[in-house]
Amino acid sequence: MTDREIIDLYKAGQQERAFREIVDSYSERLYWHVRRFLCSHEDTDDLLQDIFIKIWSALPSFRGDSQLYTWLYRIATNETLNFLNKQKVRSALQFESLSSKLEEKIDEDPWFNGDSMQRLLMKAIQKLPEKQRLVFTMRWFDDLSYEDISEILNTSVGALKASYHFATEKIKSFLEKYSE
Amino acid sequence: MKSEKDIFESIGKASFGVPEGYFNDLKGRLESIPERGKVLPGPWSRVKPFLAMAASFAAILFIGNSVLRHTASSQPEEQSMNESSYAEMISLTHPEAFMNALEYEGEDMTEEDIINYLIESGMSMEYLAYSGDQKN
Repeated sequence: MTDREIIDLYKAGQQERAFREIVDSYSERLYWHVRRFLCSHEDTDDLLQDIFIKIWSALPSFRGDSQLYTWLYRIATNETLNFLNKQKVRSALQFESLSSKLEEKIDEDPWFNGDSMQRLLMKAIQKLPEKQRLVFTMRWFDDLSYEDISEILNTSVGALKASYHFATEKIKSFLEKYSE
Repeated sequence: MKSEKDIFESIGKASFGVPEGYFNDLKGRLESIPERGKVLPGPWSRVKPFLAMAASFAAILFIGNSVLRHTASSQPEEQSMNESSYAEMISLTHPEAFMNALEYEGEDMTEEDIINYLIESGMSMEYLAYSGDQKN
């Protein structure tokens, strides 16, 4: 079912069916989107429940100005950043950095099935500043266009391209430094 | 020399896995959200604002106390100061509120409440780090 058909279904009064279609089409994509930021299956599973509760409660306010999937990504991204901000405060109170905590999660994750280079790549991504991490992940892993990312993050395409460039440079130098 | 694209493509994208059958189970749970949403809000949502207020008192006490303890250790003559004197020194806190909060301290207060307060109050990482240094 296309996004347009889902919206039409919702407007026709079949809200629950429209929501089920959203879950069917987007739950897996949004799971991977969130997982790459949180680096933990359990945290992602918990947060995804909150994200879909938010989507269900915000659906009546969706006006159709943006595409449905960029709207869904925006909710997922905002909730993920809120979650990470809480983790950041929690880490600061324990005198730890969030990036080292996320790196630990990558090492401890029993569901991580990548090789050593993929592990290194994920760790390099955790070291990036927030905006660069968002752009790199959406562009490289989710294959989103700059235009779509621009709509999700409310940032100009030019700024996103610059962030992506800086992100790739930093990742490259990290990989060169730590790979054998 | 390898281009950016070549480097990342040689590494590949897939690196995380999920338990078997996870996505079917997930869809089942997420699809039941509208049904669950019909349940009335629980007691937690009613108590939450009061807990947030209590957490704000505790956070002010925690930070104020850390600063004062540090000051007191370098100035021995102030070691004999009692709690009332501390209350007078904290301009942010009304003395009576400080004493009331002291009596409240420890009741139903979790680290989660304090963290939520710190996030909602928009306190900066730098300030938290500073208060951490004061504590040490």
